Amino acid sequence: MKNFENIDVKSVKEAVGLLQKFQNEKKSAAVVGGGSEYLQLMKVRVATPDFLLNLKTIPGLSYIKEEGSGFRIGALTTLTEIEENKAVQEKLLFLSQAAGEAASPQIRNAGTIAGNLCQRPFCWYFRSASHTCLRKGGEVCYTVAGDSRYHAILGAGPSYIVHPSDLAPALVALDARIKVAGPAGEKTIPLEKFFVLPQVNYRRENILGPAEIVTEIQIPLPKTGSKGFYHKMRERQAWDHAIVSVAAVVQNGNGVARDARVVLGGVAPVPWRAPKAEEFLRGKKIDETAAAKAGEIALEGARPLKDNVYKIGLAKALIQRALLASV
Amino acid sequence: MDQKQFSVVGKATPRIDGYERVTGKAEYTGDVQLPGMLYARVLRSPHPHAKIVAIDTSRAEKLPGVKAVIHNFNTQVPWGSGGLTQKRMIFNNPVRYVGDAVAAVAATDRYIAEDALALIEVKYEKLPHVLDAAEALKPDAPKIYPKGNLSVGDGRVSAPIKETWGDLEQGFKDADKIFEDTYVSKHVNNAQMERRVSVAKWDAGKLTVWASTQGISNARADIARDLSLPLSRVRVVCKYMGGGFGNKNQAQDYDLMTAMLAKATSQPVKLEFTREDDFIGMHGRWASEQRYKVGVKKDGTITAVELNAITNMGAYRKQSGDLSGCDFYNIPNFKKVVSPTHTNTVVSANYRAPAYPQSVFGFASMLDQIAFELGVNPYEMFLKNRAQLSKGKNAFSSNALEACIVEGAKKIGWNEKWHKPGAASGSNKHGIGMALGGYPFRLGLGAATIRLNPDGTAHVLVGVVDIGTGAKSTMAIIASEALGIPMDRIQLTSGDTDVTPYSIGESSSRTTSFTGGAVIAAAEDVRKQLFNAAAPELKAKPEDLDLKDGIVFVKSDPAQKLPLKQAMRRVETEILGRATTNPKWPDGIDGKAFAAHFCEVEVDAFTGHVRITRYVAAHDSGTIINPLTAESQVKGGVVQGIGMALTEELLIDRPTAIPINPNYRDAKVPTHLEVPEIEVLFVDSRDPYGPFGGKVVGEPPITPSVATIANAIFNATGKRFKELPITPEKILRSVQV
Repeated sequence: MKNFENIDVKSVKEAVGLLQKFQNEKKSAAVVGGGSEYLQLMKVRVATPDFLLNLKTIPGLSYIKEEGSGFRIGALTTLTEIEENKAVQEKLLFLSQAAGEAASPQIRNAGTIAGNLCQRPFCWYFRSASHTCLRKGGEVCYTVAGDSRYHAILGAGPSYIVHPSDLAPALVALDARIKVAGPAGEKTIPLEKFFVLPQVNYRRENILGPAEIVTEIQIPLPKTGSKGFYHKMRERQAWDHAIVSVAAVVQNGNGVARDARVVLGGVAPVPWRAPKAEEFLRGKKIDETAAAKAGEIALEGARPLKDNVYKIGLAKALIQRALLASV
Repeated sequence: MDQKQFSVVGKATPRIDGYERVTGKAEYTGDVQLPGMLYARVLRSPHPHAKIVAIDTSRAEKLPGVKAVIHNFNTQVPWGSGGLTQKRMIFNNPVRYVGDAVAAVAATDRYIAEDALALIEVKYEKLPHVLDAAEALKPDAPKIYPKGNLSVGDGRVSAPIKETWGDLEQGFKDADKIFEDTYVSKHVNNAQMERRVSVAKWDAGKLTVWASTQGISNARADIARDLSLPLSRVRVVCKYMGGGFGNKNQAQDYDLMTAMLAKATSQPVKLEFTREDDFIGMHGRWASEQRYKVGVKKDGTITAVELNAITNMGAYRKQSGDLSGCDFYNIPNFKKVVSPTHTNTVVSANYRAPAYPQSVFGFASMLDQIAFELGVNPYEMFLKNRAQLSKGKNAFSSNALEACIVEGAKKIGWNEKWHKPGAASGSNKHGIGMALGGYPFRLGLGAATIRLNPDGTAHVLVGVVDIGTGAKSTMAIIASEALGIPMDRIQLTSGDTDVTPYSIGESSSRTTSFTGGAVIAAAEDVRKQLFNAAAPELKAKPEDLDLKDGIVFVKSDPAQKLPLKQAMRRVETEILGRATTNPKWPDGIDGKAFAAHFCEVEVDAFTGHVRITRYVAAHDSGTIINPLTAESQVKGGVVQGIGMALTEELLIDRPTAIPINPNYRDAKVPTHLEVPEIEVLFVDSRDPYGPFGGKVVGEPPITPSVATIANAIFNATGKRFKELPITPEKILRSVQV
């Protein structure tokens, strides 16, 4: 780990101001919440900031508030707090479960919702100090010629990382919005629009500017009749990222799906929404055949690398299961 | 063997240092802090094969806080235990794999030492490399050593390793059917909790090394030899140790680097590996490609086995590279040729039962498949072909393998639960499997000293290091039992070559047998002296006396007795008992511990996920000295087998030759959630040669575990997986939903 200076910031404004200042001075700085993910990057020297802004010292950024139309969750709320919150458990379908399936209990106790959404890829080439890959300023994505068993089958190229978050697909399926503070003030955008594909920018996973930070996640209450399921497939049942995960929400009514959300994790550089599958499901009775068909549609256009063809069938199977569990 | 009721042996006894270990009071090597101590880090080769042309350390040395930089051009120290068949140095040139040590830095803190690594400028001249063992044996493959990539034997080990008995040709003629197949296992890391760490300090020409080692005596001898020091000038200390599973035997390069850095700086130095260093800088289990030809009768009886195999030893050969999975069967005609092969990859050497789990996976899968094709129940197949007490090549001092098979099968409910492979309906497929295993039980050199104090307490001195097995407690139990003094009056000192007697090293499951035997002999020495001193007061002959529960008494008249403290009054200071023992097997007899493992799995045909729902491990380890720690050993071995069977593999990126998952997260060692409740069964067994009838416990449990799981997956899916690990990806590729 390279030496760095820790700054305990006291407000969002101070954090944004400092980030701007360091940017102008051409000094590298990073923000850290729980630190469970970023410190790993620092240990292997993939991240070597001069300044680390500790956001945990900002008061009032950790909360779960239920208001008329939905929930507001503060950026510093830990995954454990979300997992254990009674109202979240009762009203936000699978969000508590998705939070509880991330990482390990120790990491969930430290890791925050904002940190989980902003985490860097867990691609082994990205995390290897010996591989200066495309995403770290290098020339190539080593995945293409190398070992691609855990990499993207959808929406990828020229970089083939997958987004590692468990909360992201769950929150996108719940139509969450994300609040970002920056030099120009605050803005709130649909979470789905927060993430960027490598075609747009292969150096970053989201739209955050160098002096912007996430402050809040807003989640509307699911519509009446909604049922959802989060299905995570991994090789190890703790401390492992999804090979494929599926967050499905179905708004049921009159024996059919009035609306549906299908969002995949572990298959694309962003949480991957399957709008055509959603459209197909609208107005349909979800049975084995329809659920299987939705899986087929969702995976149309999948472009696997040499080692990850298996993810296609796996994703289809998980979509089918998640949908059948959502009616 | 005396059939008396044991006082302590066989009773579940908590570890004597358990409180210290779980409360953080135990001082492990990493906890050692000395005044003025420096911290070291190691620079490793980024190339799989390269000649080092020049090293410029001037920028690194200018960094404030850096005290010394050592490397191949200024520090030529042999690493004796690092290469069995080639002279290996602590810094080699050429470097032969990504991870080969190039230089080491000592600085005032480890972050500065790490910063300095980036400032060392190394000029490499790249050489052609080879990663795959079968490729490496081809005539046109890049040569890692002048004589080629097939490891050269040196007398201690051979290459290829050959073993043969009976008449192979006749065996295949006698067969009704011959089966041939190939099984592949991968390199997995020992992944012990405690990373490698060493602290060295020189004092008036004497070197003290606080090591994390599985053998202080070996480590001392190795360090003295490699640094050309008299044994009297080397002290090795290891009071608490955090696991090694075979890759902390002897002294390793980091012990020698630490000593040389301490010498160069005249300050104590601590070198602690990172987890990545640990995964690539030492060694893991050798990968293998095993080609079998097996002849059987219609009923499944084996007539002949031929095994041709390649084992991938990586860049240096530290140990045998053998495959011994056929050991647990009665095979009348046999031939084995194993070729330990060099590649430009991370070194492979000892990992818990080094030659077994990968090989048992191959052979027990082979037998399970043959049973399927012959329409024989696997239980019958294993039972029929099991090694017997005295049959064919085998004559064992004891063998309760049959009881392991019968009782284990009963416990898991084999008869009720076994079904035709692949017959389970639905997407969640149930399967059940079994395999046989074990490990050699050896006799050999041990030493112990016991001081009986005037107050009737005893002080046991042994050279053992407790590597997690509970060896300290086992030695105390054996001493308590053999002396006849309660456990709470036994004090144990271990792990310091200046104080404790020789120990063979806590490897190859030898501690209880070798050192335990010496503790018994030392206790007998103490008792003899005690009875001589106490005889006059009890008005009896010394040979008529006994000591039990701390009371000396006349055997024929137990009412005639003296508390130990009183009996010691006639002793001037203390009784010093000692023993060096070195028992040998009688001609034609050999020792072995046996095991039969059983498990049930559920395989999700949609996701390829394997869940182990039940695991039964039945063991013949002779008398169990301490059931508490013995059960833990079995469970630990099974857990490692689960990882090797389902998830673990050190991946070397083919285009760059760089290991890409050298950490706990990506190497996917199992967590609690992968592990079912493991039911441990020790069958009734007592070996005539072992201490109190005990054999070995440490290594047997890992041997059948991988094959057991693989066979259960076959039973569930009807698909045979011939390459480890059996990942969801592989299952999904072969299972039709």
